[in-house]
Amino acid sequence: MKRALLFCAALSAAPLIHAAEPDVAGLVKSCNNCHGVNGVSVGHSMPSIGGLSETYLLNIMTQWKTGERFSAVMGRLLKGYTDQEIAALATHYSKQPWVPAAQTLDVKLVAQGKDAIDRCSSCHGDTGVPDEDDTPRLTGQWAQYMELELAKYRDDALKMPHKKMRTNAKKLDEADVAAAAAHYASQKK
Amino acid sequence: MSINRRNFIKSLAAASSVSLLTIPTSARAAGSGNNKGKVVVIGGGFGGSTAAKYIKMMDPAIDVTLIEPNKTYTSCPLSNEVLSGHRDIASLQTGYAGAAKRGISVIHDHVASVDAAKKTVTTSGGQTLGYDALVMAPGIAFDYEAVSGYSKDASKLLPHAYKAGEQTLLLKAQLEAMPDGGTFIISVPPKPFRCPPGPYERAAQVASYMKHHGKAKSKVLILDANDSFSKKGLFEQGWKALYPGMIEWVSGANDGKVERVDAAAKMCFTGLNDHKADVINLIPPHRAGKIAQQTGLTNAQGWCEVAPMTMESTVHKDIYPIGDCCIAGELPVYDMPKSAHMAITQAKVAAGAIVAKLNGLANPQPWYVNTCFSTLAPDYGISVVHVYRVTNNQFVYVKEAGGISPIDAPPLQRKLEAEYCVGWFNNVMADAFA
Repeated sequence: MKRALLFCAALSAAPLIHAAEPDVAGLVKSCNNCHGVNGVSVGHSMPSIGGLSETYLLNIMTQWKTGERFSAVMGRLLKGYTDQEIAALATHYSKQPWVPAAQTLDVKLVAQGKDAIDRCSSCHGDTGVPDEDDTPRLTGQWAQYMELELAKYRDDALKMPHKKMRTNAKKLDEADVAAAAAHYASQKK
Repeated sequence: MSINRRNFIKSLAAASSVSLLTIPTSARAAGSGNNKGKVVVIGGGFGGSTAAKYIKMMDPAIDVTLIEPNKTYTSCPLSNEVLSGHRDIASLQTGYAGAAKRGISVIHDHVASVDAAKKTVTTSGGQTLGYDALVMAPGIAFDYEAVSGYSKDASKLLPHAYKAGEQTLLLKAQLEAMPDGGTFIISVPPKPFRCPPGPYERAAQVASYMKHHGKAKSKVLILDANDSFSKKGLFEQGWKALYPGMIEWVSGANDGKVERVDAAAKMCFTGLNDHKADVINLIPPHRAGKIAQQTGLTNAQGWCEVAPMTMESTVHKDIYPIGDCCIAGELPVYDMPKSAHMAITQAKVAAGAIVAKLNGLANPQPWYVNTCFSTLAPDYGISVVHVYRVTNNQFVYVKEAGGISPIDAPPLQRKLEAEYCVGWFNNVMADAFA
């Protein structure tokens, strides 16, 4: 019972303490574990997040927290943070410089990718620089991560938002999934 | 000590917003000849290496010395995949060049003693170093005597493979040599032990080897001192789906606790039963590393209790036990799990507390999170995560967050988690050692 009381105290006090300006300097360091220092990931399946737009980061983290968007892991983590803390994280990472992933790509796949992105480029641009702030930047992102994201949109068993993205991802030929990812991964700016 | 607040804030800003590669060498190499303070770190695993790195990143003017006997570090996380053959042991190894490049003094030696009153550390080689703050990260020591008939020598016949490296390869060689239809025993010690899901992931990786290398009639028998285990439902589901009939788990209540072994005869003895096996993976009970015990930091159960606001020892001031040697909170749900992810997180809390203290600043808010993946097959991963808060100096987990992967998840989730595990590994290795 005592534990439960402490718990309620923790939860109700947290938003009050952090309402003004949450101190996320330490929290950011704990994000480094999976997303790299300054949001520059060195793991192929983990996205780099430093330099992505604030709107996109805030949207996706909020969708994970509320369960509107499927996630394998992130939703479970984000439920532990207040909306203010999540907003501060989005602001922090949006201010970091974007560093393209250092990856080796299959030249043939990259070439094939130029045609494979027909369905992608109207929103994500030819080089992965989007027009809208709520669309993720793909330029130089990890290819494997993007392939896995496409797999999520192509699988009806997962609850993914954004009908247009789901439709277009599903219309991609299986062989073009890796090619489209390789194309955007190969872009420098 | 004179405090230069502006420079401290500048260095913090540099650490958080500028790529480390762009910090001038002069700043990174700023080692001796300053008065910001001296930090000694004992142990160059995930926890110790991360603490040394982050202290140097946050304030290059602090002298940091890392003492670690081995020149090559072998990660325990993912080492079960060496048993299945899905991973080479070299992919788990790294050296200490990254620490040296940052201006951290690296001494490859054992620590002979710590004098907590005089605040000095003496190496086996006879070097004595003074410290303002000491990070104690020696990992675990095995309590070999707890299992009658077992010893460090016997571990060559019955490998624990719970410190990765030579032991991992020894166990792998025994697995490769065992006949089809043979029995592979994993003996699990009483909690707490490092990597709580480790033995159960190992069962899957061993079964994977058997299944794909002509030993599909063999069996993995888990003799457990405990009555339950981490991610139990998920593991049992995965074992059944991937390796049907190959893995059997015996709880402590069902006579699973191994009390005695005969290493030469390859026999395990529980209270009521004798088990003959082809391979015995005997994981002995753990305590905090020997130097932590010797320094008087450990409680009656053999672990270092810490204050969660700072990771400072509750026994000696200015000593920060982190990683597998420490304990905080109450079992079973509030404790800090002994994982690499947790060790790295604790290291960053300790680093923040030490840097603030040496600069005369208020202690920063501590943040703890744990993520723990287990891989049952290359496309089959599961996880448990927790987010923690410190409230009234108590370490508590946020009930609304965290938990295990859903039991009814679609196949793609299992594949994603297996891939994320590899991405996680690459990033934690870089976070700690690069």
